[in-house]
Amino acid sequence: MLEVRNLCKHYGGIKAVDAATFKVEQGSITALIGPNGAGKTTAFNCISRTVVPTSGEVWLDGQRIDHLRPHKITSKGLSRTFQISRNLADMTVLENVIVQSRAEGIRGLFSPAVSPREKDKAMAILDFLGITRIAYEDGHNLSYGQKKLMDLAALLMSDPKIILLDEPAGGVNPSLLEEIVGHILALNAKGLTVLIVEHNMDLIMRLSHKVVVMAQGRVICQGTPEIVRKDRDVLDAYLGGVLEAEAA
Amino acid sequence: MALSFQNTNADDLLAARRAHNERLARRADQKRATWFPVALLLVLAALPLVQLTGNYNYVLHLVLFTASYVVMASGWNILGGFAGYVSLGHAVFFAIGGYFSGMLLARLGISTILTAPLAGLVAAIVGYLVGLITLKVRGPSFIISSIALLMIVRILFDHWTFIGGANGLSLPINDLSVLWAKVPYYYAFIAMAAFTVWATYRIKHSKFGLGLRAISKDEIKAESAGINTRFYKVLAFASSAFFVGMSGAVWGEYLTYLRPNIFLIILVSANLVLMCILGGKGTIAGPVIGAILIVAINELFVATMGASEINILGTGLVMAIGLMFFPLGVIGTLARKDKLPRFLNWD
Repeated sequence: MLEVRNLCKHYGGIKAVDAATFKVEQGSITALIGPNGAGKTTAFNCISRTVVPTSGEVWLDGQRIDHLRPHKITSKGLSRTFQISRNLADMTVLENVIVQSRAEGIRGLFSPAVSPREKDKAMAILDFLGITRIAYEDGHNLSYGQKKLMDLAALLMSDPKIILLDEPAGGVNPSLLEEIVGHILALNAKGLTVLIVEHNMDLIMRLSHKVVVMAQGRVICQGTPEIVRKDRDVLDAYLGGVLEAEAA
Repeated sequence: MALSFQNTNADDLLAARRAHNERLARRADQKRATWFPVALLLVLAALPLVQLTGNYNYVLHLVLFTASYVVMASGWNILGGFAGYVSLGHAVFFAIGGYFSGMLLARLGISTILTAPLAGLVAAIVGYLVGLITLKVRGPSFIISSIALLMIVRILFDHWTFIGGANGLSLPINDLSVLWAKVPYYYAFIAMAAFTVWATYRIKHSKFGLGLRAISKDEIKAESAGINTRFYKVLAFASSAFFVGMSGAVWGEYLTYLRPNIFLIILVSANLVLMCILGGKGTIAGPVIGAILIVAINELFVATMGASEINILGTGLVMAIGLMFFPLGVIGTLARKDKLPRFLNWD
């Protein structure tokens, strides 16, 4: 469904993403893991074109999307969250969610900001995530975990085919973590494809069908969680050559 | 002093939580006191009748002058308040409107009151084209680009002999008696002000307005939320230029002359910014209240302190003190504190 081919992003001499190639299959949960600075978030940013890739191709459903502007990519059915929740303060949670629904043409631009249909849909999403009680709360009054859930709600408003989650469980408490895992599984069961960046290995191993490991901008290994767990390169990348030192 | 550890009842907490949520929901679809703007409009519409009892041209001038600034400040608010792009170059559109309609009046004798919407459109087209270039940067860079625009256009107008260059050109004076000479312009400005306030209200409550608000908070997030940020911003620039241009058109005829050093000065732009900030950026009533306050304060200090530079000091002092107590502007701060009187809630 989503295919990344030879994706590169260079910052001066630093190759943040270096010829990364991987696939995300329809209906799967694919995890992108790697040590800090491996280029996971940069790869994410290149796919959603929040940053412009240096070279390489990104294909979504047989269409090349790496030259499109971010809002076009969103309208093609690829939506993302941000690692540090970027919510829109001074707007209520409901508005934060509804802003993600599309306006069609010039007439759509001047239609009411919140139509009854959109409000119902947004409320249904908030209900699914169990946060209807904060619908009218201001974006800046939310707790960190509530922001993460709001991000997820906003994502669903645009009817995506694939969602990219950047550390959805970063910095949240264990019980909320379980809740978020439950939501991701439920969404996946409904047929939504998920690409996820995460540090929590336990979560990755439980959630994902396929794991892509990056280190220093390169994809060093990909496969099922079981295969990746035993891969020597992966262990090296994470433990920084400790194994070699032990062997010597 | 003994510490008391009250046993908080879970039911109480839930009830409090529910009450809080209900209050928030109520605030979201609060009924507006639409009677107030309508009543205000009726009073202003009837005001010229005072001319039957004596010469109140000064009062009419002040109201008209305020209304012209309401039009411009509300227009500026679309770009500066909703989208968060502070422009100090909007005097350019004031001049474009003024000169476009003024030239039509001078050459063809068509009243600017009739051509004002057309002048607004011309300003909007220029705004659209300028926006395509300058809206690629944001923050301080955008502000500087807007000042640069003002300087470029000033040089252009100063040297363009077709429109009178630096000397400007004078426009024909209407043939009404002294008592009634201001009245047509008075009504034109009141009508434009009412239309502008209504239009900004509609914009704020549309998808377009929601998108602009998202852009002002976090442009990257807005873009990845599926908003065509570039188009939204340029459209906001064009529509704000429309209102400023429309106001400039009628202002030219009212003054009876056009000159670059009246239209193309940064003071005009700065006034719009100050009005929006003092009244409350991004609110509907803010620019209106801001325009009234600044015109009133200016007039008060000019009257009491004379036309020396000391009156500028007075105005500045009031601004500074006002913003200490109302950091988000009068309307913005009161709304944040839930103390905004219902009749001023036009949002």
